[in-house]
Amino acid sequence: MSAKTLLEVKDLKTWFYTRRGIVKAVNGVSFTLDEGECLCLVGESGCGKSVTALSILRLFDSPPGKIVEGKVLYEGLDLTTCPIPQLRNIRGKDIAMVFQNAQSALNPVFTIGDQIEEQINTHRMHHNGTAREKAVALLEEMKIPEAVGALKMYPHQMSGGMKQRAMIAMGLSCDPRILIADEPTTAVDVTIRAQIIYILQELKARRNMSIIFITHDLSLVREIGDRAAVVYAGKVVEIAPVEHILRKPAHPYTIGLISCLPDISTEVKRLPSIPGNTPNPMDIPSGCPFHPRCPSVMDICHTVEPEMLNISGVQTAACHLYDADIMGKR
Amino acid sequence: MRNYIIKRLIYSIIIAWGILTITFVLLRVGPSSPVDRYILNIAARGQDVDSVKQAIEARYGLNKPITEQYFSYMGNLLQGNWGWSFSASMPVLELIGSHWIYSFQLILLATIFAIILGVGLGMLAAVKQNTKFDYAASIFSFIGISIPGFWLGLMLILVFAVYLGFFKTYYDTNYPIWSLENLKQLILPVMALGIGELAGYVRYTRSAMLDNLHKEFVTTARAKGLPESTVIGKHVLRNAILPLVTIIMFDLGSVVFGGAYLTEIVFGIPGLGQVSFNAIFADDYAVVVAVTLIGTFLVLFINLATDLFYTYLDPRIRYE
Repeated sequence: MSAKTLLEVKDLKTWFYTRRGIVKAVNGVSFTLDEGECLCLVGESGCGKSVTALSILRLFDSPPGKIVEGKVLYEGLDLTTCPIPQLRNIRGKDIAMVFQNAQSALNPVFTIGDQIEEQINTHRMHHNGTAREKAVALLEEMKIPEAVGALKMYPHQMSGGMKQRAMIAMGLSCDPRILIADEPTTAVDVTIRAQIIYILQELKARRNMSIIFITHDLSLVREIGDRAAVVYAGKVVEIAPVEHILRKPAHPYTIGLISCLPDISTEVKRLPSIPGNTPNPMDIPSGCPFHPRCPSVMDICHTVEPEMLNISGVQTAACHLYDADIMGKR
Repeated sequence: MRNYIIKRLIYSIIIAWGILTITFVLLRVGPSSPVDRYILNIAARGQDVDSVKQAIEARYGLNKPITEQYFSYMGNLLQGNWGWSFSASMPVLELIGSHWIYSFQLILLATIFAIILGVGLGMLAAVKQNTKFDYAASIFSFIGISIPGFWLGLMLILVFAVYLGFFKTYYDTNYPIWSLENLKQLILPVMALGIGELAGYVRYTRSAMLDNLHKEFVTTARAKGLPESTVIGKHVLRNAILPLVTIIMFDLGSVVFGGAYLTEIVFGIPGLGQVSFNAIFADDYAVVVAVTLIGTFLVLFINLATDLFYTYLDPRIRYE
């Protein structure tokens, strides 16, 4: 843990003020990201992991969305309050994003080359050679065959895997220090998924780039992550190095998630699942948001929200089970 | 692609021929004859009406069966002879040649005015959705769409020319086409013709922009660090423009055939609208058919141009 901390998210709350009520999509997320580290944000759909990613660069629709509390510190600069022009210099240059569905995240009426070069030109990142040369090099790095020709293609002329790789190439075009990848492998098939994971692993090692990898798939976390943050109801409930999360999960929710992972070596009749549903972000349960589904629920969980507690130096979890005071009294 | 264009050109010719035939037949089977306008003069001079009428009809071939007249008209047309205007006493082509510029300048300026302002206001209204500006733009466009162009023209003349005296009440052909005075006297006609279109474009642009404003690629564009002007003016507009082009090109047809005629008559502009309006009352069929034919070709050409323009605007569209 000697590496420098690059990004620090502190008690971030992003709420959406809709006609039917306040959607508390992100409701107090905190984590840090070190240089050259891959942090996975894990959680079920609707838990707020994507909105967390969008909140870092203030990319959610506003209105109705608003950051009501918290900070996103990038090298000491608070991205939640800094002026937009300053934020714009960071977007795509220092911190880049790769979205889930390249099919709809790429503009259908411009060529891949146009879209990559546009970003390079905006941030004037073409010191060595032209934007075009840089774009060709990026596509080659992404192992896209015939990169020069691919630049002239429109998104609809590419296969799903090519589009996703072109999207990653675009994200990398200004040599970002942080890449936020929002479920980049959800919309592609298994072989492409393996390719993309391999590319990201390679990039991380070669460029010493930090990655925030958002996924609902724990098997991907094992492959790519250094640390993982488990998100539930707009909150981080556990952060730990990946091997801790997978071998010795602390929070009952994490324990539940891990037990749902199918094991290829044993035969089961029915895959286990966590009973109940993810809470409605407009009506988050009182106390610990997980208490209605928790197998080890106690009285205090109904009323008091647990804080993040240190479990083993590198592992923290928000659960009363690890609070010595509370457990001691029982 | 080349085959597609050839196919479309052949269709265009067939459509134009059909419209030409219908116009010709409708005008020639009516109860009145081009000769009627001479008759009063002839009678006033005390000449024998019937014999002079027969002489004129024989000279222009009007006494022949309609099919024969049709074929000789078509034969002449194919050789580039557009016929003779009875009312203007000159070849039709010459008549059109001296009047088309008045219509053309009006339609061109009104279209540019409507597109630039309409698309601009529509974009602003979409970006500022649900603000006072948006509501004001909505009210303006509803009024603009509802007001008939000819009535608006009369009101503009009444207010700006009669009461305020900023403009002449009529169009003065003494000014050369390329002069500031001519441009100034076109302000009211362009507004009368353009405001209805403009109002429509505001609505269409607004909704087309809103359709695309919350698409994922817009978030991508922002995530790339692009300035908001590029995000809206390039990434969103370029996707919103496709349905707009359809509507604008479609409207151009109704401007050419409808709005411009009435505007010319209200403001006394001697364009093709007024020429064909006068020709209809004078039973001057060659002029009516010629003006209709020009309008038809214009609309067909615009349609073809639109379809080809699509392939440039949206690379996903390809024609077989």
